[in-house]
Amino acid sequence: MPLPAKAFQLWLHGVAPTASTADICRISGIKRTTLAQQLVRGKVSESTLVSISRALKRSPLDDLASFDSFAGLAEQPQPPTPAELVSQIATMDLLRAVISRSSPAYGGFGDSSSSLTPPLSAAPHATSVRNWVDAIDDGELRHRVSAATGVAPQNYSAQLTANRLSPELAVATSRAAGVGFTGGLVATGLLTEAEAGWTPAAKQAALDALSDGELTALAGERLQSLGRTLRRQEHEHEQTQKIWENLG
Amino acid sequence: MIAILQWTTLAVCAIVAIARIPSALRGENRSIFGIFVLATVAVLLSIDVSYRAIDAWLGSQNYANLILRFVVYCTVLLAGYRIAKAFDASKSIRFITGPAGRAVLTIVGVATVVLFLLADTAGSATGLAMLPSRSPANAVLIEWYAAAGRLYPAFVAACILPATYLAISRRLPRGVRAGALLLTVAFAAMAAGAFFPLIPRVAGYLKAIINYTAVLCLALGLALVWISSLMAKRESSRSLT
Repeated sequence: MPLPAKAFQLWLHGVAPTASTADICRISGIKRTTLAQQLVRGKVSESTLVSISRALKRSPLDDLASFDSFAGLAEQPQPPTPAELVSQIATMDLLRAVISRSSPAYGGFGDSSSSLTPPLSAAPHATSVRNWVDAIDDGELRHRVSAATGVAPQNYSAQLTANRLSPELAVATSRAAGVGFTGGLVATGLLTEAEAGWTPAAKQAALDALSDGELTALAGERLQSLGRTLRRQEHEHEQTQKIWENLG
Repeated sequence: MIAILQWTTLAVCAIVAIARIPSALRGENRSIFGIFVLATVAVLLSIDVSYRAIDAWLGSQNYANLILRFVVYCTVLLAGYRIAKAFDASKSIRFITGPAGRAVLTIVGVATVVLFLLADTAGSATGLAMLPSRSPANAVLIEWYAAAGRLYPAFVAACILPATYLAISRRLPRGVRAGALLLTVAFAAMAAGAFFPLIPRVAGYLKAIINYTAVLCLALGLALVWISSLMAKRESSRSLT
């Protein structure tokens, strides 16, 4: 359930009492028709709120927390676990780290965090949602989220596969896993790491704390699932081409 | 209502057939062009006005109806084979072109001709309506003739139905999936032809609706897949430049 339009307008009036809707749309880059439609429907998406909050130079996290459905979001800021941080490192960055730690003969520097290694790219990455859920899953997490929210497990899985998760489900997942609320919001791209209160070096530190064995195993898992995804895409592409060749 | 359905079907088939002329001239998938031409002819031969005109020219012995049957067999065979190949349904292809399919086609073809020749078919009658009432023997012959005419399309449709049905939920481009849905509806309607004797006489209009739905959905489904391929081609050429 997105934010109720009434509460949103109340909030907007509170934070920008003099700005017109046109002003708000101009500074936040939201299309006027999009905002109007959301207001008419009575549901404003969280990303709209975040864009406006960002444009007004406010804290999107605190602004989200001011709504009932996200109450408690910013109360006791629980930092992300190392596993969550690592899950937000892109697969290619993990592979780069593997090479970087290898001996110079293989193009590496032989240490864990060389100044020559390019900085990690910002979250979210192509599979950040699924990797995040996998990082906090104790095996029963999906069932608990499903029971708590009423969302069918297969719909939940479909969202993960598409690298999407609604903010409500992301928060519900955090709650069910007992981790901080920001992980899911960063993994889905709603908030940036800085907006979520993550320290700039947190991801790199979590990566450096991995042993060579852990890093290599993790990179291997990621590579394997990437390979499966690519193969599936290639297969689908071939099937489509065959259909078009025969019927096009 | 049925007239609207008939003329819409004719228009769709004819328009797509005309639209495919340039690509057929370039030699791209001529059999698909053939499917649309045959479907257009089949619809022409089942609409009252055009049927009477064509049959009068053929001597008012209802030979037009016999031609219609074989046009339908041809269309179904061609469309079934092409679609089964496109959706990678090797089992369906084996059924259609294998011994089973050939046996069904031969039996149905021979039965169609023999039953037609045995029956009294003098005097143009669209869909051979009124002919059965001439004599009890004629009623039986025409009924079997019609049953034979529905059997082959139903057989081919049943062979492909699983392939197109499964394609609806596969991860394919939206246009292709929508096309697969339309083709599934078309084949389901064709397969339903085998159960026409179960339809009560008062609901006879249902038969016409099912028949035209089948042709219309077949044409629209193929057209949709074609359009989606054209759009993909345009997109890829644009992304290259």
